[in-house]
Amino acid sequence: MTEGRVPLSGERVGIGELQPVSRRSSFVYLEHCVVHRDANAVVSVTESGTTYLPAAAVGTLLLGPGTRITHQAMLLLGESGVVVCWVGEGDTRLYAWAPSLFQSTRFLEAQARLVSNRQDRLRVARQMYQMRFPGEDVSKATMQRLRGMEGARIRRTYRHLASAFGIDWHGRHYDPNNSSAGDDVNRALSIANSVLYGVVHTAIVALGCSPGLGFVHTGHSLSFVYDVADLYKVELAIPVAFEAAAQRTGSLSSQVRRTMRERIHEAHLLERAVDDIRLLLGTPDADLGGEPGLVLFDDRIGEVPAGTDYSSDV
Amino acid sequence: MTVLVLTAVPVGLRGHITRWLLEIAPGVFVGTVTARVRDLMWQRVNEHLGEGGRAVMVYPARNEQGLAFKVVGGTWEPVDFEGLTLIRKPSR
Repeated sequence: MTEGRVPLSGERVGIGELQPVSRRSSFVYLEHCVVHRDANAVVSVTESGTTYLPAAAVGTLLLGPGTRITHQAMLLLGESGVVVCWVGEGDTRLYAWAPSLFQSTRFLEAQARLVSNRQDRLRVARQMYQMRFPGEDVSKATMQRLRGMEGARIRRTYRHLASAFGIDWHGRHYDPNNSSAGDDVNRALSIANSVLYGVVHTAIVALGCSPGLGFVHTGHSLSFVYDVADLYKVELAIPVAFEAAAQRTGSLSSQVRRTMRERIHEAHLLERAVDDIRLLLGTPDADLGGEPGLVLFDDRIGEVPAGTDYSSDV
Repeated sequence: MTVLVLTAVPVGLRGHITRWLLEIAPGVFVGTVTARVRDLMWQRVNEHLGEGGRAVMVYPARNEQGLAFKVVGGTWEPVDFEGLTLIRKPSR
């Protein structure tokens, strides 16, 4: 740094200075506070004081009820590559996300290519189911059969956990318009899922993929988020929800998020999600640190350098 | 690695700590000690802090942040955000 180079204010953080998503803390949840910018920091202010948020070291910022956020705070969060989700007390979610931490479109293009080809799409969808049934060979199963197997797996998990934790289970019920309705387990499931969706969403956008182009799910702007989250639901979100509902000591939502953080950390979820997405998109060896190369499309030779004057070629 | 920062503490306490840690700047101590030694050291710091003294100790932990810390004295307080510890500076 040169001497007398004063204005840190307004200085953009280089993409290389940002913590990779797999090394970030999974999420921070805030409620009833004002999030703004103070002396180049992202801060949360309440009546009791000011808390500095390590923006470049967390993946997802979950904004709960009673939060206000300023334009300048969003600017800094965007620069730091943080995914911001506005969440209700239950599973109601609204997303905003920063530009990818990874400027190349390598993964996005692979995703778009695979989604657009029927055979490839089927193969990826099947591979997603295969990850949930590691002992079985599902390579010949139809999508219909796979959906059935998945339904049975989820029901089995619910039943097993209900009896393990001594919970009276009457099935999964939730009302998206009334998050406080439903029994403790159902509410806990909604909260745990919303944390899982936020964290998976962060991994997806960090790679520059589209959250909307799903393989199993389709037609929703977060289809791919639901696809990837389903890989970890039985392992992470569902047990956390049953455990929290059974051993509730204070605020249910707080307990669910606390336990989710522990499990996400233990399971190295961010790292795994990044690896799994790369594997599913057939790009496991693609270098994450590479410089983005802007090139022009060519139908015969694939691509040609951008920023070149081609007027003499014609 | 353990980092200990002592502010406005008796000189004797600073000297005492140098038996375990290296003072790399006034009041800033670093070193590698076992969890047991660290706890006893923190106990010693609390006993001898004196009026108006402040101490912060940071050490590695197996949590998402990869670290944990303790503070005594002063007005900045650690706040738990559902498993993530951040610091709150009180409003005047």
